[in-house]
Amino acid sequence: MKLKIQGRNYAPADREREYMRITNNMLINNMMLSLSDNLSRTQKYQTQLATGKKISLPSDDPIVAAKALKLRTDVAEIQQYKRNTDDATAWMDITEATMNQMTEVIHRLKELTNQAANGTNTPDELEKIKEEVSQLKKQMINLGNATYAGRYIFSGYKTDKKLLNDDGTFSIDIANSEQIRFEIGIGDDININVPGSDLFGSSVSETAGTKSKMIDTFDKVIDALENNPDQLTNLLADIDDDLNNLLRVRAGLGARMNRVELTANRLEDDNVNFTRLMSKNEDVDIAEAIMNLMNEENVYRASLATGARVIQPSLVDFLG
Amino acid sequence: MNNTTYMGLEIAMRGLYSAQRGMANVAHNVDNVNTPGYSRQMLVQTAAHPLLVANGTGMLGTGSDVIGVERVRDIYLNEKYWGEAQYYGEWSVKATIIEDMQTIYNEPSENGYTKIISDFFSALQTLSTNPSDLSVRAMVKEKAVSVAKYFNSVAKHFDLLQEDLNQMVNAKVEEINNLADQIRELNLQIYNVEVMGNKANDLRDKRDYLVDKLSKLVNINAYEVETGLKLPNGEKETRFVVTISGKALVDHNTVCHLKCESREQKLNEEDIDNLFDVSWEDGNKLNLKSGELKAYIDMRDGNDGLPGLNGENSPDCKGIPYYQRKMNEFVRTFAMALNEGIMDSDGDGVLDKTFGHVDGYTLNGTTPSGIRLFTMLNEYGEYMSSADFMAMAEKIGVQEGITYDPLTDEYDARLLRAYRNITARNFCISFDIENDPSENISASLAPGQAGNNENINNLLKIRHNTYLFMEGTPEDFIKTVVSSMGVDGQQYEQYLDVQEGIINQLENRRQSISGVSLNEEMVNLVKYQQIYGAAATIIRTFGEVLDILVNRLGI
Repeated sequence: MKLKIQGRNYAPADREREYMRITNNMLINNMMLSLSDNLSRTQKYQTQLATGKKISLPSDDPIVAAKALKLRTDVAEIQQYKRNTDDATAWMDITEATMNQMTEVIHRLKELTNQAANGTNTPDELEKIKEEVSQLKKQMINLGNATYAGRYIFSGYKTDKKLLNDDGTFSIDIANSEQIRFEIGIGDDININVPGSDLFGSSVSETAGTKSKMIDTFDKVIDALENNPDQLTNLLADIDDDLNNLLRVRAGLGARMNRVELTANRLEDDNVNFTRLMSKNEDVDIAEAIMNLMNEENVYRASLATGARVIQPSLVDFLG
Repeated sequence: MNNTTYMGLEIAMRGLYSAQRGMANVAHNVDNVNTPGYSRQMLVQTAAHPLLVANGTGMLGTGSDVIGVERVRDIYLNEKYWGEAQYYGEWSVKATIIEDMQTIYNEPSENGYTKIISDFFSALQTLSTNPSDLSVRAMVKEKAVSVAKYFNSVAKHFDLLQEDLNQMVNAKVEEINNLADQIRELNLQIYNVEVMGNKANDLRDKRDYLVDKLSKLVNINAYEVETGLKLPNGEKETRFVVTISGKALVDHNTVCHLKCESREQKLNEEDIDNLFDVSWEDGNKLNLKSGELKAYIDMRDGNDGLPGLNGENSPDCKGIPYYQRKMNEFVRTFAMALNEGIMDSDGDGVLDKTFGHVDGYTLNGTTPSGIRLFTMLNEYGEYMSSADFMAMAEKIGVQEGITYDPLTDEYDARLLRAYRNITARNFCISFDIENDPSENISASLAPGQAGNNENINNLLKIRHNTYLFMEGTPEDFIKTVVSSMGVDGQQYEQYLDVQEGIINQLENRRQSISGVSLNEEMVNLVKYQQIYGAAATIIRTFGEVLDILVNRLGI
């Protein structure tokens, strides 16, 4: 390049001489410059091959550098959102499984209540039914206090405290607004929990010490079995209420789980795409770099060879 | 004078002398083929003064005469070179320094800012999915420490680089003074030689070479001024002057040095202490236009042309103070947004008060914690506690008359001022977080709710607040800073490439005129050798003629 500049521009500026006087040091200087140009290009391709990256400093290509930073952020974020959806899925899976068991418990309660209500049971049999209903109540309370990784899943924000006391009263203040939200995308969050008030209570917020509506149904059945078997038929409607409430909450959770799953799939795709973009942006095309390197090596050899021939001889070699 | 018997011998003798001097000149040229700054020399040879023959048959030639030795040099190219070398000096220095600066950010890489900040936010994300987990809380603290340390380290490296550049400014000033002294010395020597009517070729080469060197360091003009007097040989007397922006650095036998003095007041608030101001020894202000010295000063002091603390504008160049300022701007804005929730959250260009870490509840807290994630090192180099930070804000409020009324003010303006005390150098996590991250990280927005992650979610919003900085989100900010540095770097390299081309072309043109060509010298050598031989033959011939005259006439 530099040789050309000098050759082209010299002639018009110089009026007196018709040819350019070429001296030994000019040859050496020009050759040294070309060699160092060659070498710096060779070094560029060597660094590319050694690091696998197109650039090593932002100034090598500021646009690639800026893109690289953006894509790194994007990829890191996508991966974090993926971890968040994984956590959300795990939490919701446990919630869903627990609520599934609750549904079975209530189905069993309904079955037993039906059985007890048809009037042909001996007192002994009623006693046995009562015993089983008590067990079901205990199980329901246990399910209400289910945990995920040591955290109570129905306790709203108070994940360190259990939801229900053994007598079926709420052990904490709880409100439907206590929704734990995970970020699963930029500006996109989802509540992953089911507050116990929604599931066990009768209003949007419950205070500690009040009786859970659902557990209360169990107590009413037990009371009826004990004192007033005629009431059992009426209680079937309460049980259906509880069951419907449970199914409503499950359906809501199911819809959210569905959304998390869709998001997780999209994040998976995004991860692949953005990682590929990142690689395309900053990773070197090995084949191309090797070719460039070989090319530079050839040029380097050629300039060494010509240099060696041009510099050495002068008239000195041929006198005497 | 008559045509004497021995005249032919005399003429041949002169031929021998001329040829000998020619050969000596060839030897001198060949010896200096690699001497930097050397210009080839040529004999100035004329026909010797002829004899007027008395009998009117014309003038009789008396051989050749060497009347001088001159160097072959194009003064116009010298001046061209000196005009261009300053830019070459400037861009080569700037291109090197900006390369150093880029490595400080360490981007793009797997352990630069992007990685550290996204790790920090990832930790907050993980905390948001599990707010009561003590190990996650400890992780958030560690990642916050990494963020702080990253900025400390960047600031420290910029400080060290600024110190280095300051030393270089001093070194360059000494180099300039030294060259000026040498040029003065040569001025005297050249004058002494030339006042006798000789040409001080080699000394002039030496002086031009020193000016070559000087022209890379600083913008100079160098020229000879006629004094109006005449030398004994009739030529005009001149003196050699080197000026920087019009003021003489060297004027024949006098030199005005440059001097470095520690600044009493910093130019930029981001500067380290005791940077040098460069001025003329006689107290005048030095006006630099280009050259290595200016490049070092520009990169050391450049704050994008902002007015400095001492009333002068900083160089209009993105040097170290500019990037320090950017880093400071980042840590202040980022810390204030995270800690206090004071930031522009809706793009109207006005700060708003939203939820910050201080508004959250600690694990067992019953009131908003008032705890800050990040503060600064206090005067003893220890992590400042949130309470001390607030006390500092209140004290500044009293000192500077800034007040805060919780009923009418949206946010505490005293805090805005307090955050200006944070720099990338002293940025750190607060003592409270360092001391007990398990308890003090304030994830919740209500007391006694271990699973409440609302405040963490508030903090996470900062990551995507495009109004946080003029450049956008925290990550956009650094992306912009790094790529603007990259663009500058690329530009400097391009300027350098162009300048290298120009300098190289000029150097080649100079070499083309002044350089020694071995071929040419050998041709000259052969020529002079032949002449010497021919002159010797003439002597022999005259010898034989005299032999006839003296010995054979048989007298």
